[in-house]
Amino acid sequence: MCPHGFTLANLKAETRAIWANNMKEWKIELAYPISFVRQSVEPLVFLLPFIVYGLVLIGGRYSDHLMQLVGTGDIVTYVFTGYIIMGFIGTSVWAMGFSIRKEQWYGTLESIYVTPTSRLSFVLGMALHSLLHQGISVFLEFSAIYVIFDLALRIEGILPALVIFALMMLALIGFGIFVASFAMILKEGWIISEGLYSVLMILSPVAYPLTVLPSIAQQASNVFPTAPALIGMRTFLIENYTPEVMGNVFLHLLALDAAWIIFGIIIFSVTDSYVRKRGSLGKY
Amino acid sequence: MTTQSLEMYSFKANLQIVWSEVVKNFKFLMAYPVIFVFWTIFPFLWFIPFVFQGQAFVGSLQSAEFEKFAGTPDYIPFIVIGAILNGYVLTSLYGVGESIRREAYRGTLDYLLSSPCNKAFILIGKALSESINSTIYAAIQLAVGIFLFGIEITIGIILPTVLIIFLLILGLYGISLMLAGVSLQFKQAHDVAHTLEYVFYVFSPVRYPLGSLPFWAQVIGRLLPLTYALVAVRSIMLLKQNIMGLYQEIFLLLIMDIVAILLGFYLFNWMEKRTKSSGAISHY
Repeated sequence: MCPHGFTLANLKAETRAIWANNMKEWKIELAYPISFVRQSVEPLVFLLPFIVYGLVLIGGRYSDHLMQLVGTGDIVTYVFTGYIIMGFIGTSVWAMGFSIRKEQWYGTLESIYVTPTSRLSFVLGMALHSLLHQGISVFLEFSAIYVIFDLALRIEGILPALVIFALMMLALIGFGIFVASFAMILKEGWIISEGLYSVLMILSPVAYPLTVLPSIAQQASNVFPTAPALIGMRTFLIENYTPEVMGNVFLHLLALDAAWIIFGIIIFSVTDSYVRKRGSLGKY
Repeated sequence: MTTQSLEMYSFKANLQIVWSEVVKNFKFLMAYPVIFVFWTIFPFLWFIPFVFQGQAFVGSLQSAEFEKFAGTPDYIPFIVIGAILNGYVLTSLYGVGESIRREAYRGTLDYLLSSPCNKAFILIGKALSESINSTIYAAIQLAVGIFLFGIEITIGIILPTVLIIFLLILGLYGISLMLAGVSLQFKQAHDVAHTLEYVFYVFSPVRYPLGSLPFWAQVIGRLLPLTYALVAVRSIMLLKQNIMGLYQEIFLLLIMDIVAILLGFYLFNWMEKRTKSSGAISHY
């Protein structure tokens, strides 16, 4: 009999399922090496225009106006520390959001659905694969930007920044579970993923401080983990950085973690039973 | 039938092929209206971060440093025009370039290629329908640009702009023909399309003036038709230059069009013959 419920045996079994799903994705990805290389350098390609555009706007690397807003004028370090999270937003809205739809493309969705494994394990397996993949992309981004422009980062701030990053990822995983439930209902769900990715990019202080956004957008950014996470990470990583929004980043992120994970799982469970009851899961 | 009436019949038949492709693609677009919404709205979401970034770094809507490279201090109209014209690149690469692959997904490629007609007219039909769609998206985006971002437009500006966009479309569809040929032989042309998108995005003056790039990058940029189209359209719309003063850009764009279209047709026909003789057409 298969283990089930909140038992150690079941937890071990689900962990194995998550790992197996992650390994399966790696095998598929590495079967197309050109595609793997392209996807790994893609974040760098989309980061460069932000930096070059910034350099052209102010005719150099240091912006007096940015200095007034956040206490640092180094636009290269500022944009780099913001843009590294974009790939992880992709983990949430693309990799996790599309996990179920992808199985449908492969023709394996029904087979996977009848296995005695939690559906969430598929989604989390995709999240793990994407996290590792994005780690490679961030390493490439860091190497390229460090070699071309040099980066002024505080080494001692890396550890606390990683703690903040981990808290952000927990909330993004909850958000990704929520997006995955959309993909079960909407067959053209890629537009939702692209839409959420673009909206999160605008609402997050990736290339500009939150204070330049209209106040309604600033309020909306509080709902997503990327804004407090970026403010917190920059506080530790950039010398003299002054947070544009005051408040305890750790508490904010913990609250968002709990909220997004609970909300994501509830919506996912409701959608899962709804599509199975309607028999629309296998519809293409 | 006389030779003259045969030629007339053949001409009419080819026009019918083009028309059928246009109608078919329009029906697809109407069946998935969300795709229409996507291409109309999303290019805005992609450049909005650059607007806020400009405000954060400069503190105003004009930059004296930007003027040194771009000839205009107004960076927002500059990037609005960049986004609109880059939309033509995206729709041609993913619309026409991958259209052959989509026929394979739908299971209609074999029928299409074995039909007793000149395949070039099928592709002309696809390109024409994509051009009509792209122009509708561009017109809506331009209307929003005029309303929100202060782009000024007069009748005297419209005609030369349309001419330059027409020349851009010709060149882009030459490149798309090459891509369609590649997808006949190698099936997964998706990575090639993405890589071309990156090249256009980074090396053409979509988000920043060409002069701000290093010399080697400017050389690559000057090999792309989008570069000349952007320089010419911005000169007309933002710098109020006369089209006669842009004869160099227009001449180079025309040369690129001729080269791209000839090369595109040659490559597509060659790949078609190759895949037919090797039996690789029906490979998935």
